[in-house]
Amino acid sequence: MAARVSESVRYWANEHFSRGNWRIVLFVYIVLAPVLLLFGYVRMVPIFESLILSFHKWDLINPIKPFIGWANYEELFQDENFWLSLKNTTIYAFSVVILSTLIAVPLAVFLAQKSRLSAIYQTIYFLPFITPMVPVSIAWKWIYDYNHGLLNYVLSVFGIPAVAWLTDPGIALYALIIMGVWKVVGYNMILLLVGIRNIPSTYVEAAAIDGASGFQRFRYVTLPLLRPILLYVFVTSSITAFNVFTQVYVMTLGSQSAPGQAVRVLVFDIYQNAFQYFRFGYASAEAVNLTLIVLGLTLIQFRIARNKEGMDG
Amino acid sequence: MRASKSRSAGLDRRAALKVAAGAGIAAAGGIAMSKKARAATTLNIWTGYPELVPYYKSVAEAYAKTKPDVTVNLLSSSLREMEQKLSAAIPTGTGPDIFDIGSGIAIKFIQAKLLDNNPPDVDAYLKSGAWNKFTVDWFTQGSATVGLPLLEGRAQMFWNRAMFREAGLSAPPKDFGEIMAFAKKLTKFDATGKMTRSGISMRLSGQGSGITEKFRFVLEPAGGTLLVKTASGKYHNGFDNDAGRKALQFYVDVVQKDKVDDPKVPHDADAFANGHTAMLFREAWVIGDIKKKNPSLDYGVVPIPRWDASGPVKGIIQPWGIYVNGRSRQKDASWDFIKFLTQPANAFQITNMTGWVSARQGVDWGPLLKETPQFESFVKPPQDIVLFSDPILPFWDEIQTRIADRLPGMFIDPALNGNPAKVAEAIKSLATICDNVLKQAGAYGTA
Repeated sequence: MAARVSESVRYWANEHFSRGNWRIVLFVYIVLAPVLLLFGYVRMVPIFESLILSFHKWDLINPIKPFIGWANYEELFQDENFWLSLKNTTIYAFSVVILSTLIAVPLAVFLAQKSRLSAIYQTIYFLPFITPMVPVSIAWKWIYDYNHGLLNYVLSVFGIPAVAWLTDPGIALYALIIMGVWKVVGYNMILLLVGIRNIPSTYVEAAAIDGASGFQRFRYVTLPLLRPILLYVFVTSSITAFNVFTQVYVMTLGSQSAPGQAVRVLVFDIYQNAFQYFRFGYASAEAVNLTLIVLGLTLIQFRIARNKEGMDG
Repeated sequence: MRASKSRSAGLDRRAALKVAAGAGIAAAGGIAMSKKARAATTLNIWTGYPELVPYYKSVAEAYAKTKPDVTVNLLSSSLREMEQKLSAAIPTGTGPDIFDIGSGIAIKFIQAKLLDNNPPDVDAYLKSGAWNKFTVDWFTQGSATVGLPLLEGRAQMFWNRAMFREAGLSAPPKDFGEIMAFAKKLTKFDATGKMTRSGISMRLSGQGSGITEKFRFVLEPAGGTLLVKTASGKYHNGFDNDAGRKALQFYVDVVQKDKVDDPKVPHDADAFANGHTAMLFREAWVIGDIKKKNPSLDYGVVPIPRWDASGPVKGIIQPWGIYVNGRSRQKDASWDFIKFLTQPANAFQITNMTGWVSARQGVDWGPLLKETPQFESFVKPPQDIVLFSDPILPFWDEIQTRIADRLPGMFIDPALNGNPAKVAEAIKSLATICDNVLKQAGAYGTA
């Protein structure tokens, strides 16, 4: 075992240093060091702190933090709110990721064609992504208003009765999904558009010469070559979707809003336990679970993409 | 050459003298500035009620007339954000000198010994008769007092006189039976059957402890209470009983059987101010809100009615305190300022300017009532009213919020409509949630 490790280290050193490029490698690491240190301080340290905190009982105010072992985790797995928020978050995340990608792909294909209006459409679709979440959520709260909302007005034009988008517990989560898709579809579209434009035109032209139809060119040339970008879209969208919070918080504030339980998601539950009940150890245990879930999903997505590449390759 | 050298040396000496003189002046100035800086006192005040900022500023200006060396810096944010800010800042010694906050958070600071007991003069001031016994007890922890009362939340029933007249009703309801009967007459629907005006606006949706707090406006008159304190100092739920079932049944009837309110229609103070509802249970700040949004609204305010003719009139009272940070470097100045802040003239101002009712006694409310008679039942509540309040417990908000998570679903659950067994089951599940939080906190007990 030790010999294998030693061999690997020697191979790595040969690869990097024997060619006389060690100065470049050193330079790269020195240049990256500030960013890596900052990343470690603002990202990795809090994650490890949360992990440690999850084994303690702490209310933020009292300086005494007794170690309680796995008690937070044991309680968490019996907590109805945790399971409900996990279920709601999963429904939300999968719906947003799948729907936003399904909408973004044809949009990207359409906008990849040379057109003078393409840039304008890209801007229009991208605008929601760069608009801050709080004003967007407030605007959507108005759009969803049962009595005076734009959405119900549009439905009424077609003779469809008004829908209680926010106050109906059976619909409120789907209202959030619609808004979530609207928010990220432009971002996904831009990423996919870049991917499509990076596909060498010779592949598509060769397929066309071979008699492939437009759909066949998309299915057998564009889509397989888009796989790395699609993987990136899935991973980033999943992480973002599992961290949904702001819109839930805004849309459940006040009396004319969504019932909290109907749209309870994991980060909202973490927020409530930490900053409302001041149960920081318990909230940390929940945050650790969220991290593991997102990490697990990301690994699964990578594994699926790798297997697919293997099968194709 | 020599002359030049000499001149050069002379210049150096002059320059050196200038520098020395300059340094001397600067040092003297610095000392003077330092003395001045030491003489001037800046008090940092944090409030969770942004609407109190004009009031604090006005009091600070008045205070500066007697203490010109004291200046006040204010920071305000929403209540929830302020609770978080204070919870992080007070233990780390970066908090303000003075802050206002509810008892649920204050008790955590007190338990962590981050707040000092009131100094003897403040203690004597609190017990001087300026506040009623209920309020003084509220600020008493064991044998000591901590903080001073700033304002108090009381909920009353707002009723729209014009709508009542239109419905042929001459007076507000006297009990909950009349509330429902009147609400039926006051509710309006359009041709499609869609509710356009609710008879009474209850808190039916959203999230947060406010839903449970409003539920208690019904539960308490019905004879229940959220928590019962036992002889041993432990707690258990006080609503898994007939009163709890009656209160939940009332809500279910409001929404489903009698249809006098609907989660879909506008709610709360906005709805009342804009004529979308005929009745509302709310605090005094709504009066200020109505003044801004619809000053011509014809309405009255009375205590929330008794459950039935034999029951007591019950009213919630939630004292709100102002505290001096135990780690403040300006404790004496801070105590002096909050004593000034709670003088009768300033107590009048807080109600006049913000709509929140001061907890102070001995205030001449005449000018206020002349201008806004609706304040009467807040500032001069009937003597026979039975007060109830929030227990001062660190986990109180969690209990209310966890119950609030479930209530909106129950209000609209068709299975509960006309089904007492299901209502009882629902109440039992809420009681279990409540008792579980108590058990988690080690505060549960029945004896």
